Amino acid sequence: MVLLENDSVSVLDEFKLKSFVLPHDGRDRPTPRVGKPPLPESQEHMCLVRAKFRSQKIATVIHQRDVNKFQVAYSSLLKGNLDGLKKLKKPKTKTKAE
Amino acid sequence: MTYLKSWEEFEKAAEKLYMQAPSKARYTMKYVHSKNLLSLKMTDDVVCLQFKTEIAQDVRKIDKFVNNLLRHIVSKEH
Repeated sequence: MVLLENDSVSVLDEFKLKSFVLPHDGRDRPTPRVGKPPLPESQEHMCLVRAKFRSQKIATVIHQRDVNKFQVAYSSLLKGNLDGLKKLKKPKTKTKAE
Repeated sequence: MTYLKSWEEFEKAAEKLYMQAPSKARYTMKYVHSKNLLSLKMTDDVVCLQFKTEIAQDVRKIDKFVNNLLRHIVSKEH
């Protein structure tokens, strides 16, 4: 799995995808066994986002400062690419106006 | 686990699930173009909530929800 910078998230554009959001504390190794010194606690809350298209997988870690940037990119990705869904027609409200 | 009927129901339950155990809960979204289907899942490996939709307008609500969730995850206090 490739870990990308947030900027590269636009790579997602290519994908009809499955995506995945998970809180992330920055740990990149297993928890130590009993008796070993514990891992240092992380100071910052982060979020791990993974996406999959067939066998291609990408992932990124979002830091606090990058949230806004990612959200904008992600929103436009959703709106732009989930284009197979049905448009629900609004029920006509002015049918008996006259 | 079966799918929840309405978006409101899912949103509420998912939020509650996340609040219970913020570090365990994860959220998955799957889009199937050929079936015109978007399915969502929120789980903490004990409880599993699912929701599926075919309606384009729901994407906006989902987007709002995900943004909210992301913001919560990276914010300091849990």
